[in-house]
Amino acid sequence: MVSVTIKDLTKQYGTCVAVKDLNLEIKDGEFFVFLGPSGCGKSTTLLCIAGLVKPDKGEVWLGNELVTSPERDIYMTPQKREVAMVFQDYALYPHMTVFKNVAFPLEVRGEDKGEIMERVKATAELLGISQLLDRKPGQLSGGQRQRVALARAMVRKPKVFLLDEPLANLDAKLRVKTRIELKKLQQKLGVTTIYVTHDQVEAMTMADRIMVQKDGVTEQIGTPDELYNHPSNLFVAGFIGSPEMNFIDCTLIEEGNRLWLDAKEFKIPVPAKIVPELKSYIGEDLTMGIRPEDLYERESVKGITQKNALRMTADIIEPVGPYLLLHLSKGRCPLVARVKETTARIGQEVDIEMDLSKIHMFDKKTTEAII
Amino acid sequence: MFTKDRLITSLFLLLSLVLVGHFVYFCIGWNVFVSLSDWKGLAPSYNIVGFDQYLRLFHDPVFLTSLKNNLILILLFVPGTLFLGLFLAILLDLKVRGEGVFRGIYLLPFALSFVVTATLWAWMYNLKIGVINTLLGKTGLEFLKSGWITDPNIALYCVVLALIWQFAGYTMLIFLAGIRSIPESQIRAAEVDGASGFNLYRRVVIPQLKAPALSAFVVLMVFALKAFDFIFVLTDGGPGYRTYVLALMMFRWTFSKNEFAYGAAIATILFLLALVIVVPYLYLSFRREKE
Amino acid sequence: MRSPKPRRVILYILLVFSVFLFLLPLWACITTSFKTVKDLIYTTPVEPPLSPTVAPLITAFNIMVRPLLNSFTFTVAAMILSCLLGSINGYILTKIKFRGSNIVFLFFTIGIFIPYQAVLVPLVLTMSKLGLYNQIGGLILAHTAYGIPITTLLFRNFYGLIPDSVIMAAKTDGAGTWTIYRRIVLPLSLLPFVVAAVFQFTSIWNDFLFGVVLARGSEVQPASVALANLKGTTEFQWNVQMAGTLWYALPVLVIYLILAKYLIRGYMAGAVKG
Repeated sequence: MVSVTIKDLTKQYGTCVAVKDLNLEIKDGEFFVFLGPSGCGKSTTLLCIAGLVKPDKGEVWLGNELVTSPERDIYMTPQKREVAMVFQDYALYPHMTVFKNVAFPLEVRGEDKGEIMERVKATAELLGISQLLDRKPGQLSGGQRQRVALARAMVRKPKVFLLDEPLANLDAKLRVKTRIELKKLQQKLGVTTIYVTHDQVEAMTMADRIMVQKDGVTEQIGTPDELYNHPSNLFVAGFIGSPEMNFIDCTLIEEGNRLWLDAKEFKIPVPAKIVPELKSYIGEDLTMGIRPEDLYERESVKGITQKNALRMTADIIEPVGPYLLLHLSKGRCPLVARVKETTARIGQEVDIEMDLSKIHMFDKKTTEAII
Repeated sequence: MFTKDRLITSLFLLLSLVLVGHFVYFCIGWNVFVSLSDWKGLAPSYNIVGFDQYLRLFHDPVFLTSLKNNLILILLFVPGTLFLGLFLAILLDLKVRGEGVFRGIYLLPFALSFVVTATLWAWMYNLKIGVINTLLGKTGLEFLKSGWITDPNIALYCVVLALIWQFAGYTMLIFLAGIRSIPESQIRAAEVDGASGFNLYRRVVIPQLKAPALSAFVVLMVFALKAFDFIFVLTDGGPGYRTYVLALMMFRWTFSKNEFAYGAAIATILFLLALVIVVPYLYLSFRREKE
Repeated sequence: MRSPKPRRVILYILLVFSVFLFLLPLWACITTSFKTVKDLIYTTPVEPPLSPTVAPLITAFNIMVRPLLNSFTFTVAAMILSCLLGSINGYILTKIKFRGSNIVFLFFTIGIFIPYQAVLVPLVLTMSKLGLYNQIGGLILAHTAYGIPITTLLFRNFYGLIPDSVIMAAKTDGAGTWTIYRRIVLPLSLLPFVVAAVFQFTSIWNDFLFGVVLARGSEVQPASVALANLKGTTEFQWNVQMAGTLWYALPVLVIYLILAKYLIRGYMAGAVKG
């Protein structure tokens, strides 16, 4: 088990920048997730760590060993780095049985037969594929193949696990189940694990820490909790969480000695707690963010709008099982609220209250978070 | 940094590069070099005389006849094979029972050696008891009997006909694959829109066969340029020089008359003509692959 | 029962008539091979022999047996060598990224299209320098070298279908370039090997040009050249000529009957008849 350190990593394919100036330190035994929309960046970083792709510049360290550095002309081949990788399509060897597939990494390293037998069997046991050892990959289901790929990666006890969207080809139900098993397995083995996914739920549920990447650039690194509650910019705020955070464009104005967020359709008073941070933005365009679960429906009293409440029209009511999604609008401003129950009817008005202590503020120009 | 593994693989690639490098590229260069010399007779002589051989070519009636015959071959054989192949492909596309058998039979001649097909056609075209003349006699078409490949007026056309017979299966195969790669849903949509039968093919199918037609065209053109074995065995260029082509002339002048420099000059011209066809094609297909 | 539409009838008449035209020369060859000289005169070439005989076949076999064995030897050897080299090249060109790989591919591809006339004189000179003129070895070397471009193309097309992730997995599993070829790529290559082997066998077997310039009239001359000679020397013995043709065509006919599917894949892959 080792830590993985990446310094100034850059890789470009033609004009497409896959990774740019990435700096990162993954701790020993950590479950670290690269999260981002589909594109070339995340996997490229993983391939650079594995040694399957040579970066244009930067360094990769496995523990105390520098394994990649184009500047210093250092490049250790993937065969010699003790990292294992699981690919999205599993990349099983179609002509070999499951046993042979799992044994392959040991065989090419010249381990002796008895040792191979023992370790393949133990790994198969651990992953519950003992009864499949004589089959060929073509005879296996998606879930079984995925396990074989994991077994092949685990069998030689690598220092680092690299997983490239390993659950993307499974059906929804199996994905949820495997997610948990994978997390348990990682905790049990304690191997440093780097996991690439575009699925934020996967990232949030499994990771110790997450790096959100977009177009090769790091948007934020943090624990799932930090990303959810303190997104550092508009992209992270919008990418993490489902349903997505509501964004309202507004201007900060001062009126009657108070600060207001003027969203044209309505005005929201700025809570006293965040006034100091916002003060310098008076007159500027901002984006306010609020998560659907921080919106509440309030019994409306006929004719009178409650304080701090917005009167909005219910457009769609979407039952999602444990809760409901209210799609609301006021003029051109749409909002989604997540509520347990509702009295609203489609097309009718309803009063919505915001939990102002939970709002996020972003500078519209730079998209960076202010608070 | 080279591992042992990498070294073995590289050595194999190197072997291929050396073989192809020598036998294709170096030999082409060498041939051009020979063509600029005055080498005549069995002992090699590399006395460079410049473009003398080429100048001589353009005053040589045999060369001009051969060039003309190659041109006729290209003008008749290439379109003839393309059309017959397309025709057969369309026939087979009409949901024919036993399609595989028909396809296999039409393609069979293409799998055979030119020496085999040339011998077969020599028997077909034989004046006295050959296949065609006997059949004509039996069916009362006596007046159509002919010397075929011995008749100076039609010998070249007889060669073209036999070659079309041999290559039509190939173009059929290419076109049939092209037709089959058009999505079924598109054909259905066209049928719903009211196209059927001949119109369906003319308006919907054939316009989409440009790519297979182009690759078949290049293959046939290059063949028509370098045609040798078939003609060598069937007519040996005769009667007179009526079926002489460049490749045959190159062979005769080089290996029978030992005019090595002169033969090399003919070969160089053949090579340049082939480049004119192949280079644009390769350029196109490489560009397509990059996209 | 529904009576077939007249259009369908015309279609099948056209198809069957084409079959007649395409098979006529071969059919005439087969019948003639079994005819006595007398039958040759008294029957038309399309009719079966009145008194079938294998005498022409035996005569032709005695003339052709040595050249047939020659052809078989260098064809099989050059087939194996060119397939192996093509396979390794295809692997390198698709699965190992290196600068200039496109140029290497172009370098090979051009070799498919060149008219061999352009190399004939230097080819003969090379072979005599190597002492391989009029030798089986010379034919093997020539057919291997000129086979590499097309086999490389064939294997490259097939290896393009093996996912890169499989190769990457093998690399992280600890396998080196050659191990990956031997343990992963080669075992997955049965189909391309059959396609390339069938294609190379028929091409080399059918070749005349290299045979005639490298081994004409010698002990090691190939069957194609021997058949062309037979045609020249048996002007009026059509039955022997046809029997010789049949012997020479037989291996290809057998392959065609059994493995046409694979040969077709070779033709489709942009393969060109030399």
